[in-house]
Order: sequence, then structure tokens, then C-alpha cells
Amino acid sequence: MIRLDDYVPIVGQAVVGQLYRLAEHLGPHRLVNINSTRTGGGVAEILSRVVPLLNQLGIETLWEVIEGDQLFFETTKAMHNALQGQKVHFSPEMLEHYEEINRTNAPKFNWQADLVIIHDPQPAFLIKEMRSQAKHWVWRCHIDISRPYRTIWKFLQKTVSQYDASVFSMPRFSQNLKHPQYIIYPSIDPLSEKNRELSPEEVQEVLDRLGIERDKPIILQVSRFDSFKDPLGVIQAFRLVRRHTPCKLLLVGGEATDDPEGPQIFAAVQEAAHGEPDIQILMLPSDSHYEVNAIQRAADIILQKSVREGFGLTVTEAMWKGKPVIGGAVGGIVLQLQDYYNGFLVHTPEGCAFRIRYLLHRPELGRRLGQVAREFVRDHFLITRTLRDYLTLMILVENPDSRMFEL
Amino acid sequence: MTVAPEQTAQDPFWFRECFVMPMPIGRKATNLRELVETLRVVDEWVPYYHLFQYRLSLTYPGVEYPNEFAFWAANALQDNQLAEKLSSFDPFDFQNMVQVREALIDILDSYMWDLTYIPWARPGFEFDFCEASTAIIRSQIVAHTLPEFCQALQQVGLDSIYYHFFEARWRLGLREVDDFSFWIEYNFDCPEAVKQIRDIDLYFYSLREIRTELLKIIDQHLGDHCDQAG
Repeated sequence: MIRLDDYVPIVGQAVVGQLYRLAEHLGPHRLVNINSTRTGGGVAEILSRVVPLLNQLGIETLWEVIEGDQLFFETTKAMHNALQGQKVHFSPEMLEHYEEINRTNAPKFNWQADLVIIHDPQPAFLIKEMRSQAKHWVWRCHIDISRPYRTIWKFLQKTVSQYDASVFSMPRFSQNLKHPQYIIYPSIDPLSEKNRELSPEEVQEVLDRLGIERDKPIILQVSRFDSFKDPLGVIQAFRLVRRHTPCKLLLVGGEATDDPEGPQIFAAVQEAAHGEPDIQILMLPSDSHYEVNAIQRAADIILQKSVREGFGLTVTEAMWKGKPVIGGAVGGIVLQLQDYYNGFLVHTPEGCAFRIRYLLHRPELGRRLGQVAREFVRDHFLITRTLRDYLTLMILVENPDSRMFEL
Repeated sequence: MTVAPEQTAQDPFWFRECFVMPMPIGRKATNLRELVETLRVVDEWVPYYHLFQYRLSLTYPGVEYPNEFAFWAANALQDNQLAEKLSSFDPFDFQNMVQVREALIDILDSYMWDLTYIPWARPGFEFDFCEASTAIIRSQIVAHTLPEFCQALQQVGLDSIYYHFFEARWRLGLREVDDFSFWIEYNFDCPEAVKQIRDIDLYFYSLREIRTELLKIIDQHLGDHCDQAG
């Protein structure tokens, strides 16, 4: 099991010591997190790490999961898409079923808590049944809700407004709500399989196994085959670079399971890459964290040329590995990358090509950007920051009207 | 003048830690006019966040602009002239945040006055207005001597540096004075160190760099005995 003290060599004693002091000051508290899945997806990934660490800090932290049937998860998936802006039709039966599943889950939970954090919309309706079981309720939205489909937001808003506070991942996701809204930036775990340090031998073993040669500089994009990640724009940029400078492009994606558009985009990517021996497309199982880690560490330049993005944790991961990163100037990528300081932001395939060439010819600048990027992530986007934010949140919900107070 | 490492302060220095969480107010500016109009109506905590507290939320390494308004002008509006004007704006020239807000609006307003167009933010770079909630906790970290002070400086989080070095200037009501130099002035006979600390141009250092500068200054006046705590 990972111990909190294992993070000391990474973030320093000052950061970890402060977590202990904050938790001690907070005293005995019971925190309950509720989401809709124990495995798979970013929320489960972060909870699986944060919950044991909060318990080590002396905060009694539970993690509960609601159960649902196929119609429920179809509805909440549609809800997720609608909150991200898609116009989705919801029948009254779907919404009634959503509420009903929440109602049938409620009796399973019989604790009393100081704070309940409900993650995303799936279990949001529980508050109607369980309000008295906790002093404070917070809705933690992990979704890019900057332009939600109005119909579904109006439906959800009635429930969310009953909470004591909401937490979003970026200021631009905040909504017109009467209760306090807080920001907790997403984070990565530097000790996870996806991010832990790897030896050169471990990296090479993965490259050999996957048939990746290091005969030319490697340009990499890791992302689902999804039009928002613009893999076709990446190929276009690569072709522009190749007219001037030798290099190879690696497109690494997971299997498209629940995305109907996935196979279509994948076929288009294969078509666009046809006849180009220096483009390699890899489909890896969704749990290939170790392999992705190794490939990122082998890359010379990492791209995330999205045209729409939530926060963009793949950018955070690449920055943590000390790589020069070129990202699309959208969503949370804009918060993470600053031109010439820790990476580059681009708007077009041409801009992406230009920055790739620029970095290929200035490897020293690339190294420097990568080093600054790593320190930026160390300061802002590691799991220790999330722990601190959760502990702070527990204090703030008990003092919602003060903007500055001494305890 | 050097201070004997064993010299004990009359009053020990108790470090406080502060925990800041940004709170978006659900409003954004897509152009300069919207920035000014919104600044006129929001609570004073909003400019306070974007001038000071943002340092504890998200700060970019090596970025030269000393507040988020100047940074936005340069980065989002790509208006270097306005960024230059906002970079020279010093909130500590004013007595309170009401005056600070008025002065800030005055700069923006007079800049817009002569323009024949309204500068717009690049898409995706809109200004998201925030305020923040801050919980302050008295830590158990205390210094009785300057070597102990050096050790504590390395032990506390960067937010503690922020609290004692930035927040203190409003709290003490003395714009030039921070908690650290105040403590050294009243407990040790070392006016040079006090002056050097007060001469740090706080806008051009990150919190980590300010910590390093403080350690360097004290070490110099302790005759390289900064590490002899306890």
C-alpha cells in the first residue's frame, strides 16, 4: 500500500507535513464519497488513491458506489454528454427512472457523516432522500459543463441547488448557482503505474515489445480516436514537418468501447496515415498504463492537439515526464501551457507543425521547457494538492460566509 | 553587522499557514469593456484575488506580469501597451481595496477612452472572475532564534510565506512592512537585514524564490550559520 510519506521525496517534507498539520487541526471527521463506479474512469482512479490517503491522515473516509441497471447508465451517460453540450433527447420515463434508482440506493447507506461529496450527476439525486445523514453536502462535478444543454441543466440544477456547495475543475465550468462554488484542479498520482519513474531498461522493454523503433525523433499523441482530439490534424501537421525534418509519429489510443464515433474516426486515421511508414498507430487496452508511461518517456515531443478539451490530464502527464508539450489552445490546456515557458499552445495543424519543427531544431529549449513543465505540475497538479484541497474544503463548508478567517 | 546564532528573540515567531480556495463567481469577460463593467460591480474580494491571492492557486513559472489583469492583457488580449500599464500598477500605493479597485478601473477606463475599438480576448482565454476563501491556521512551528527561523522557513509551505510576506502588509496597515522583517526589527539588532528584506521587489519573485532570498539574506547576517538551529 502506498503511504503518504512515500510522496516526501517527490513533493518535499513541507507539503506532506502540512497535510498532517491540517488534518490534525481538522480533528475527527467522517467524509463520504459517492460515485457510480468502483473501476474505470478518472473519478474512480482518483478516489482509489485519495480515499486511503485521507484515512492515513486520520479523516475517516468512506467510498460508496450506487448501483443501477442498463437504462439508468444509458440515461446518465446521455446526461453526461448533454452536460458537455450535446443536444440529447430525454423522455420523462428516463428522468423518472434516474430518480427512482437514486431512491432505491438510498436505504443501503446508513451512516452519519460530516461531509458527503457526490461525484458527478449519477448519484446527485440522493440528497433528496438522505439530506439528514450529513451536516454538509457538496456536489463535485468533474465534467466540462461550460456550455451545458439547457434542458438537462435545468433539470439537474433543481437538485444541485439543494447542496451546500459545488466544486468544479476550472473556473469556466462554474454555473449560476446561489451556493458557494469552489475550484479543485484535477491531479495525477506520481506513484501510479501511469506516472511512476521507469528505468531506461523498462522503457526499452516496452518499446521492443510493441515494435517501436527509436531510429528517429518520436512525436507522440496519446488519446482516444475522437474528433475532438483531432488525430487527422496531427497527421496533417506531421506531414508538413516531414517535408523538412526526419521524425516519426506515434498515435496511441485506447479501444473505443462506448463511443459510436470511434471506429469511424479510427478508419479515417488509418486512411490518412496510409503509405506513410513513419506513422505508427497503436491500439492498446484501456488498462495499459505502464505501456503508455514508457512510450511517453521515450517520446521527444508530446502533442495534445485537441480542438475541445476538459482539463486535459494527458497534458499534465506528459509535462510531469519532463517532455516539451504542444497543446491545442482549448479548455484546461490553456491553464497548463504557456508559450516559451513550459510548452506551446497552437490553433491549427500548421501552427502545430511549426512548433514541432522549432523544437526538433532546438532540443536544448525542449529540455528546458520540459523541466519547467515538470516543476509546474509538481507545484499544482499532483495528488497531494487534491488532498490538501479536500481537507480545506472540509473547513470551508463549515464557514461558508467568511472569505478570510483564523481557526 | 552579524547576529550571534544563539541570540534569542524576546517574542518567538509563530508561523501561520493559510489555505486558499478559489471561488468562481460565475461571471466572465470576453473583452476589455466587460472586464471594466464587471469590476465595477463585484465585491472587493474579486480584485483582491486577481491581484494577490492567485499566487496560491495557479502561478506560471517565470511569467513576468505581477498580477492577473496584466497577464490577461498580454496573453488574452495580446495588448502589450495595456499590459505594460497594468504591470506598473502597485496596489500598495492605496489604503484599502475600495481605492485599489477605483484606481484599477481608472487605468482601464482611460486606456479605453482613446481606443477606437474594444480589444477582445482570444477564444478560450476569457477572464473568469474569482474570489477566494482563506482559512488561516496557527501552526506549531515556532522560531526563537534566527537559525530556528531559517529552519522553519524551509519547513512551512509556500502559503505561509505568502501570508507573512503579502497578506501581512494589509493586516499591519504598513505597506512596506511584512511580518518577517517586523519580527527581526523588534527582536534583533540587524537593520541591514531588515532593509534588505523590505527591498525585495515582491512582484518579480515567486513564493519559492522569496523563500530563497530570505534565507540568503539571513544567512549573510548570521555569518553562514543559518543551518545551526536547535
